[in-house]
Amino acid sequence: MKTTSRLNRKVQLESYRGLLEAAPDAMVVVNVGGDIVLLNVQAEKQFGYRRDELVGQKVKNIIPEGFAERIIADGTRSAAEALAQQIGTGIELIGRRKDGSEFPIEIMLSPLESTEGILVTAAIRDISTRKGAEIHLAQMEGRYRGLLEAAPDAMVVVNVAGEIVLLNVQAEKKFGYSRHELVGQQVKNIIPEGFAERIIADGTRSAAEALAQQIGAGIELIGRRKDGSEFPIEIMLSPLESPEGILVTAAIRDISTRKGAEIHLAQMEGRYRGLLEAAPDAMVVVNVAGEIVLLNVRAEKEFGYRRDELVGQQVKNIIPEGFAERIIADGTRSAAEALAQQIGTGIELIGRRKDGSEFPIEIMLSPLESADGILVTAAIRNISVRKLAEANLVRKLDELYRSNEELGQFAYIASHDLQEPLRMVASYTQLLSRKYKGKLDTEADEYIAFAVDGANRMQRLIQDLLAFSRVGTKGKDLVDTSSEAALLQALQNLRGAITESGAQVTHDPMPAVLADEMQLTQLFQNIIGNAIKYQKPGIPQVHISAARNGGDKWMFSVKDNGLGIDPQYFDKIFGMFQRLHKREEFAGTGIGLAICKKIAERHGCSILVESTLGQGSTFRFALAGSERKSYIPADTPTEEAVCL
Amino acid sequence: MPLEVLLVEDSGGDVRLTQEAFHAVNPAVRLHVANDGIEALAFLRHEGVFVDVPRPDLTLLDLNMPRMDGREVLALIKNDASLKTIPVVILTTSDADGDIAKSYQLHANCYLRKPVQLNAFESLVKSINDFWLTKATLPQIQ
Repeated sequence: MKTTSRLNRKVQLESYRGLLEAAPDAMVVVNVGGDIVLLNVQAEKQFGYRRDELVGQKVKNIIPEGFAERIIADGTRSAAEALAQQIGTGIELIGRRKDGSEFPIEIMLSPLESTEGILVTAAIRDISTRKGAEIHLAQMEGRYRGLLEAAPDAMVVVNVAGEIVLLNVQAEKKFGYSRHELVGQQVKNIIPEGFAERIIADGTRSAAEALAQQIGAGIELIGRRKDGSEFPIEIMLSPLESPEGILVTAAIRDISTRKGAEIHLAQMEGRYRGLLEAAPDAMVVVNVAGEIVLLNVRAEKEFGYRRDELVGQQVKNIIPEGFAERIIADGTRSAAEALAQQIGTGIELIGRRKDGSEFPIEIMLSPLESADGILVTAAIRNISVRKLAEANLVRKLDELYRSNEELGQFAYIASHDLQEPLRMVASYTQLLSRKYKGKLDTEADEYIAFAVDGANRMQRLIQDLLAFSRVGTKGKDLVDTSSEAALLQALQNLRGAITESGAQVTHDPMPAVLADEMQLTQLFQNIIGNAIKYQKPGIPQVHISAARNGGDKWMFSVKDNGLGIDPQYFDKIFGMFQRLHKREEFAGTGIGLAICKKIAERHGCSILVESTLGQGSTFRFALAGSERKSYIPADTPTEEAVCL
Repeated sequence: MPLEVLLVEDSGGDVRLTQEAFHAVNPAVRLHVANDGIEALAFLRHEGVFVDVPRPDLTLLDLNMPRMDGREVLALIKNDASLKTIPVVILTTSDADGDIAKSYQLHANCYLRKPVQLNAFESLVKSINDFWLTKATLPQIQ
């Protein structure tokens, strides 16, 4: 029976052996007593024993722990029960070779009904390689996690299946999940679109290819938090070789702030560009680093660059000096201060075109608050034409001044040199008249008289012309002057005419003014002289007064009771050689009031006349007052009105 | 005793007027004439045709003349130890400030402007006679 049974078992086992040898793993069949009853070649190799050294031996010899215990009945359960619990599960244990060395194994148990009771077949897989890989991964993960946590961005590591395998604290915070809620989950949960698609293989490409295309590029996507809210992100992908295949590390940056600023800038730029383009000048917007951030078409044209050649470039490229220095902070001041000093002032600088040519510009700066800090808008005007015009104007003014000067010199020299021969004509006609009057015939007397009269008139004319030209060429600086002293000198010079006409000349106290005293004397003398001269029968009355004329000016008035002037001649009388009367009525050269006008102009004022024909005239002119008290010579009468 | 007056004047008309005026106010005046600066210096230094001329008691000097003008003559006279004591009266039409200042800097004894009117000229000559040739005491001619 026993023999039969053994034989029987042998037959059964022999048939089973075939199956064992075909298996890829080491196979060991153990009975419930823990004895090895059968094994295959792979098992011999795995453990370093010959078959006959193992058969009949305890399985504990090669798997010291965890196997026998699992299949052997104990007080609480039957062997069948013990085994049933283990069937089909991979159990990781340690195998021991004949030489005593150990190695990690995974065993899979299955029951085998036999005449000797239940046998257990253990498929034993050497998992040294896998275990090594696992250890490596764990080590790497440990190291890698350090890197991840050190990163400022949220970091998520995803496998090619799109599953999150690793993440850092920033990622937890950013997306509002705890780590365990994310590991093993699809990355689509936190980045719904655009990420997984990029790294997962599809029909046309491998995962490696898909990934390779994305490495290093900043991709703007939308992140979704656990609470469902979304926010703009930028991700940077990099590959990570691992035993599980290629992993993808994504650095995820929240770009809400930047996006907001960009949107704001874009809006502002949109609005602002309209203004820029509408401006008549070239406009360039520069940041405090001196970089051009915006410009208009006029600026492109003026400097000969395309927009994209200038944006982001230093403004020094187009305005080499004097602009950037003005807006950039230095040790002594902030950018805002630097800028504040320049706002609104026109600064003349030199612009440089792309072709290197330079041209004069005027820039006006204004500040512009922006998300990127203070920007400076510069309105740039090409002032080539203006500069040219200015240079032209200066030259023309120069010429005018010179020709005026020459004219003045000419008038002076001509009248001066004319006096010499004229003195001869006048003197000798007078001599003729004196010596031969009444000794020739009456016709000769008449001829001589005309010659004397003509010479005399010409003398007066030349003297007046000289006086006129002297107003410009011989004028003195305007200094503190007693107008009273000037007036008294004029009256002294007119003493003969005043006495002869019996005129009553009166005046109020006169102020101190800024004047050329000689010219002021002449001014009084000419006007008062005219007042006495152009009279109707009766006693000429002239009154000179001065009154404050607002501000610090004194308005002088010379009022007479003479012939008066028809208003239509008010302008004409101040012209050169202009006379209103026949020579037989009143002698004169017509230069006296022209001299007055010129003197008044030299003193920064004009001379005016008010008059009604037949009712007398009033001549007025204003002079700047002097701080000094009026100077009155000691021997001058000080009554309110002086009668001469 | 005649009064010797040297008139340095290039204008014949002025020479004649001056002669007539002096003749009218003081017949004792002997008016000698030099027509420019060169002649004037030759006269004063008794050179050439002027070997026997007297030393003038007074010189009337015009400023603007050909060849050598009055300013040069004045400078030379006042730098010459034997001539500097002769009074030199500038008699000119110029009223230029520069001419007046320059003349006195060169030690002119007086600066007079020729008046335009005949009467005024005659009265000026009378003044010269009355002051320089009558009232003023001049150095003795050696």
